[in-house]
Amino acid sequence: MTAENPGPLIITRRFDFPIERVFDAWLDPARASKFLFATPTGKMVRVDIDARVGGSFHITRRDGEDVEHVGTYLEIDRPRRLVFTFGVPKFSAQVTRVSIDLKPLPGGCELTLIHEGVLPEWLERTREGWGRILDGLAAHLAKEGAA
Amino acid sequence: MKLNERQQYFDLTLTALAHPVRRAILERVMQTELRVTELARPFAMSLNAVSKHIRILERAGLVNRRRVWREHRVSFNAAPLKQVSAWLEKARAFWSARLDALDQLLKAEDAAATQQHAKKGKPQ
Repeated sequence: MTAENPGPLIITRRFDFPIERVFDAWLDPARASKFLFATPTGKMVRVDIDARVGGSFHITRRDGEDVEHVGTYLEIDRPRRLVFTFGVPKFSAQVTRVSIDLKPLPGGCELTLIHEGVLPEWLERTREGWGRILDGLAAHLAKEGAA
Repeated sequence: MKLNERQQYFDLTLTALAHPVRRAILERVMQTELRVTELARPFAMSLNAVSKHIRILERAGLVNRRRVWREHRVSFNAAPLKQVSAWLEKARAFWSARLDALDQLLKAEDAAATQQHAKKGKPQ
């Protein structure tokens, strides 16, 4: 994990399960409804997954209010790579992009999730400068705190 | 601030950060307040062009511009960047929890399969 460069957001996780099972869980409505946008008190009222490139997903959770999660699949390369756009229209008009890369390991696999907080074009132009900007912010805040 | 308004500011911040000249300007004013002419010096561009970049940073609330005599001085304002930073933290916690849930789900499936296997004596 790269704490010093959180834009884009990168999370790596090891699973003690075969790569195919971990991959398939993202596109299988029954499993996705249990882990993807679930909350302990929420109930899934809609889980539509059209698992093909250009297909979209609608996952709506009812937890006091209905919260819809929507996106479109950009890349599906079982079991190694899955890329989709992701938005929660209720909270933001922003469309973000999530990519999931899997690689097999002995006895399991490793998943790397990258959530690009904003449109990919923006990210391309910003990737390089992020670390420095946030380092600068940290230094500035430290100075502010000391003053 | 209302949600929409906050979103708008967030977008402005991201737009403002999406240019190397503006990031360079920001990095310098983070250190200390600077005159517009000082900020413009390292760049091979007109004062006017630099001023335009500063205005975009200003619109996002990333810098403040104040007039001292005939000079414009530019200083850094951390609030919008803190917001971006907070968003990243939130997103990280969100996905971390989702991946935990996935791991638990697969473990529960295996546990259920083992139990069923033991009960019925046949493979899943």
